[in-house]
Amino acid sequence: MTPRRGRRAVIAGVATSDYPHLPHLSEHAVHGQAADRALADAGLTFADVDGFATTGFFPMYATGVAEYLGLHPIYFDETNSGGSSFEVLVEHAAYAVEAGAVDVVLVTYGSVQLSQMGRRLGTGGGGGGFAPGPAIYDALWGNTLVGNYAMAARRHMHEFGTTPEQLAAVAVSMRRHAATNPQAQEREPITVDDVVSSRLVADPLHKLDCCVISDGGGACIVTTEERAADLPRDPIYILGAAHATTHHLNLSAMPSLTVTPAAQCGPVAFARAGITPADVDVAQLYDSFTITVVLTVEDLGFCAKGEGGAFVEGGGLEVGGRLPTNTDGGGLSACHPGMRGMFLIVEAVRQLRGEGGPTQVPDARIAVAHGTGGMLSTGATLVLGREAS
Amino acid sequence: MTMRWFPDEMPEPAASAETVGWWEAAAAHRLVVQRCTDCGHTRHPPGPVCPHCRSLASEWSTLPGTGRVYTYTVVRQAFIPSLADKIPYVVIAVELDGADGVRIVSNLVDAETEEVAVGLAVEVVWEDMGPELAVPRFRPSVTPGSTTAGTGERR
Repeated sequence: MTPRRGRRAVIAGVATSDYPHLPHLSEHAVHGQAADRALADAGLTFADVDGFATTGFFPMYATGVAEYLGLHPIYFDETNSGGSSFEVLVEHAAYAVEAGAVDVVLVTYGSVQLSQMGRRLGTGGGGGGFAPGPAIYDALWGNTLVGNYAMAARRHMHEFGTTPEQLAAVAVSMRRHAATNPQAQEREPITVDDVVSSRLVADPLHKLDCCVISDGGGACIVTTEERAADLPRDPIYILGAAHATTHHLNLSAMPSLTVTPAAQCGPVAFARAGITPADVDVAQLYDSFTITVVLTVEDLGFCAKGEGGAFVEGGGLEVGGRLPTNTDGGGLSACHPGMRGMFLIVEAVRQLRGEGGPTQVPDARIAVAHGTGGMLSTGATLVLGREAS
Repeated sequence: MTMRWFPDEMPEPAASAETVGWWEAAAAHRLVVQRCTDCGHTRHPPGPVCPHCRSLASEWSTLPGTGRVYTYTVVRQAFIPSLADKIPYVVIAVELDGADGVRIVSNLVDAETEEVAVGLAVEVVWEDMGPELAVPRFRPSVTPGSTTAGTGERR
């Protein structure tokens, strides 16, 4: 659908909450802090908001946060696709404003996973009584969330010869970016050797192949080009978006362990934006684990299937490299409160505005934010641009 | 070193209308896969609708109980506290013989951790949990070469 003149969807404001450790804040307070800041960034107030989107881990989540924020929106959305949720929510918000349903959609994320649960449960799971329906077939064997990603990594190594050192290169590059981010949870530089000699959590993934576990959140404002013309910040255009799923949470139902839903939604989003991977100046890619990034750069078409290991080596993901990625330090080093997708969007917008600080990609014009959710179950791609086309 | 578990924190298998046939076969130590009686497509976990042709008709096809390790991990951190004394243990995805590419997730047992490898030939061993409940785990095949499963992609 081509929107009416002036109704092209843009992002007019972004913010992160404080992070990575917020023992003094509730989950709702993190939403509130991020919302406040994003609206201020956009030059708007809560009174301007007529649409609201967020998601969390219980039903009617968005209405609960809306009540807390004192919002009575005429559009709301709480689609939950795990880590890719916020890319999906922003895509939906773009359609809503382009269709004329609403003018200003506030999208927020908040989590106090670190303070609430400590380190144990974050990359764990697999235990407990939560195994609805067919999930029991994967739940009986003591596998964990990291174990599922480890099995994908092992299969990638088997099929393509990917090495632990190549996976480690992802973590090293993220840490290098994080070193310049004063808020980042882990900032001490690390080497490939540090990663591969850190303890194995689930072969072949080491502790430093896994994301940090954090408190934090963020928010963004989706509105129209026309509305943004009266606002202080340069609008960032939502040029294309798409999402996909291949399975729920059962690894036994995943068609291939080395191809993610990004292979479906990435090309669609790029086509909708009228770009190719070569046009992308900076990427924000979900990095729950190092293997997640290797699979994603392949599936989005930045390199051929099986060549992700070589692609990420030697600083390939660093500013000045083949594809500057996760310029804030990513979930591997900066902040990962459970569903990190909002951080990808905020950092992509900051890069396109030239606010990237020490990791600014010179003259970044097109950015991609790609979220991954579940057990490599869902993917969602947003293509953002400084110009309308 | 067969692991017996299902401590309190682990979910108990509960059969649904769609899975009861699978668990009944398991209790009789028969490894089965659900096969669409219209198009022949196999699927796992069991479900009400064929994901290939959307037929509601299916049957339980008995498998030889052999296969090859498609991928694996060795769990070395006890995220599930009651499994702490089992660490390290091996979780495998097995591509089953006779199942047209269907894989199931299980454990490798009766083996040293170092024995696990992609392509390892395995055979089922049943662990009886009660009079009506048994679960399939796998051990290295006693007669290597008995398996016909490939290690390629699912159709």
